[in-house]
Amino acid sequence: EKWAATRAKYPPTTLALQHFDAAYGIQLGHLWPSVRAALLCERKYGALVNNFSDDDVLSDLQDQGCRDFISDTDLEVHLEQISAVGVEGESSDLSTKTSDISHQQLSPLQISRNIKCLVFPRGDITRFKPAKPDKFGLLGYYLMDAASVLPCLALDVQEGHNVLDLCAAPGGKTLTLLQTQCLGFLCVNDSSISRTLRLKRVLHSYTPKPFLSGDNLRITSFDGTKWGEIERDTFDRVLVDVPCTTDRHSLVEDDNNIFSRSRTGERRRLPQLQLELLLAGIEATHPGGEILYSTCTLSQTQNQSVVEQAIHLAQENHSIHLQVVDLKPLTHMFRKTFHFAPNLHLGEMVIPHLAANFGPIYMCKLKRLT
Amino acid sequence: GSDCILQSNHHGVTDLSGKHAAELSLRSLVNMGFTDSQAEQIYETVSKAKGASSAKHALSALSSLFALGLNASTVGKLLEKCPQLYTIKESQFQQRIGNLRRQGLGEGSLQRVVSHYPQILVVPMKKINNVGMFLREKCLFTVQQVTEILRDSPAIIEEDLGELEYKFQYVYFRMGVKQAEMVKSKLFRFTLNEVRSRHCFLERRGLYQTPDKKGQTLIVNPKLNSILTVDQDTFLAQVAKASAEEYDVFQRLMAREWQAEEHQENFEAVS
Ligand SMILES: C[S@@+](CC[C@H](N)C(=O)[O-])C[C@H]1O[C@@H](n2cnc3c(N)ncnc32)[C@H](O)[C@@H]1O
Repeated sequence: EKWAATRAKYPPTTLALQHFDAAYGIQLGHLWPSVRAALLCERKYGALVNNFSDDDVLSDLQDQGCRDFISDTDLEVHLEQISAVGVEGESSDLSTKTSDISHQQLSPLQISRNIKCLVFPRGDITRFKPAKPDKFGLLGYYLMDAASVLPCLALDVQEGHNVLDLCAAPGGKTLTLLQTQCLGFLCVNDSSISRTLRLKRVLHSYTPKPFLSGDNLRITSFDGTKWGEIERDTFDRVLVDVPCTTDRHSLVEDDNNIFSRSRTGERRRLPQLQLELLLAGIEATHPGGEILYSTCTLSQTQNQSVVEQAIHLAQENHSIHLQVVDLKPLTHMFRKTFHFAPNLHLGEMVIPHLAANFGPIYMCKLKRLT
Repeated sequence: GSDCILQSNHHGVTDLSGKHAAELSLRSLVNMGFTDSQAEQIYETVSKAKGASSAKHALSALSSLFALGLNASTVGKLLEKCPQLYTIKESQFQQRIGNLRRQGLGEGSLQRVVSHYPQILVVPMKKINNVGMFLREKCLFTVQQVTEILRDSPAIIEEDLGELEYKFQYVYFRMGVKQAEMVKSKLFRFTLNEVRSRHCFLERRGLYQTPDKKGQTLIVNPKLNSILTVDQDTFLAQVAKASAEEYDVFQRLMAREWQAEEHQENFEAVS
């Protein structure tokens, strides 16, 4: 009787697992059992160092055995990747010539030197302690999936850039972008009012007041799909971190689970919502600017398919021509820390692994040409 | 080195007096078939033991073990492994052996059990009988199966019954394995953690399912036998199809999870 089910026969977490077994078993093939086990086990975190904090959290964390995964890449890898990219450039009509991309890709790590994210080494399951406030009340680090930093690095923000974070709450990626301290103006948006409040609380615990003033930052709660109507052709960089099936979360938490029967409709509509958000993000970018689409699901339907359709529809309906930016150089640089899905035809994806239990994070970068 | 000890022991012989000591001489031990060094060792152990009856018990232990049909070399090893054997009274010895026979252990099995697990003769009969009863009544093993369990996994008699019950229920309910299969895969040789680790690892990889009420699963579960009775490398390569690194991390994560659960249970128990 110890094992008898006292819960509902098919709780949402079970439904999620059944769904993933069916979909990802096919999509990931022999990799699925390994990813599945990792998803069902305790995840790993990264500690995003808060540069605004007065405390020397960096050396404190290093003393505990962590390392900054962003600076922990050797030059050899950089050189290797440049030549590798030159040879293996993809031929799909979605992707583009790669020679100048590799140079472009090295630069974010110049500018993003200010972003530091510490992780415990591969296979180490030590947990981070909660961050402590400094004498001004600012917390020393923010705990998040270390793979969530990658979309921010890939976004490649430069000095003075105007940036839109279209779906920003609870704010992990916003905080990461703020660490660069080089942004011109940052627009932070999330359609959920309660989640936007949470985001504000997060920003206030990590950022000094002056940085949150109206001159630098605007926080809104609009429906992101309408952004094209609000502010077209405006931003240098747009982060479109869409709502998704949040695979890891859906497997452990029955409350508020997207796989609960009552949310079936909402779940089925996700790809459409994601497409509309990405299209809005594309419209909000000015020609020459760049868009980064990201999710925390493994689902091809919510990842590659959405991007493919967005590229197609942007061209058809808005005459916006987009170019896919190769992120191989970036993933290559961080292959020591993360497991990346092999042979994705579009974008890059961190897949969970027991020894490096980060992700899933999918990302695809687009450059707006017209 | 050993020579030196041997010398002093030879001298020690004359220090011992009394009837029993005379009976348990080095010479008599060698005559029983023990090697010189075994004889030395036995002699030394017995002469160090306190109490006038020690030599007498030693002799009865030796004859009882020989009576089981064990040869001197085996008996020597057993005494080394389990010196408590020296302290058992002859009558006790006979009772316990008789009890093991009643549990179904015939000549060959009895020898095998005693030589692998001499402690079985040290443990009170009641304890063995309780385990047997527990296996029959709480776990519904047949008399025949209980005998097999005692023969294959005699160390079971020293286990805590509460933990045994948990292990049985885990395998029966969570893994959906029936008694015959448990016996075949020598389940009781493995600790709960060993069983749980391998099972949970397979389960999280999607390679093992708890059968539903009708005993059905969507996938074919691997046999308990193939999960337990192989070494770790074989288990990983053939059953789990995973790397040693993954399993290593997994086991550490599980240990932490289970520890937290135990804490929780203890906490609930006191509050
Ligand atoms: C994956 S979460 C974003 C996580 C966030 N970027 C971070 O790093 O902390 C997706 C967010 O999209 C928001 N959202 C859902 N529909 C939206 C819409 N139509 N417009 C804008 N935001 C939306 C949700 O409220 C949710 O907070």
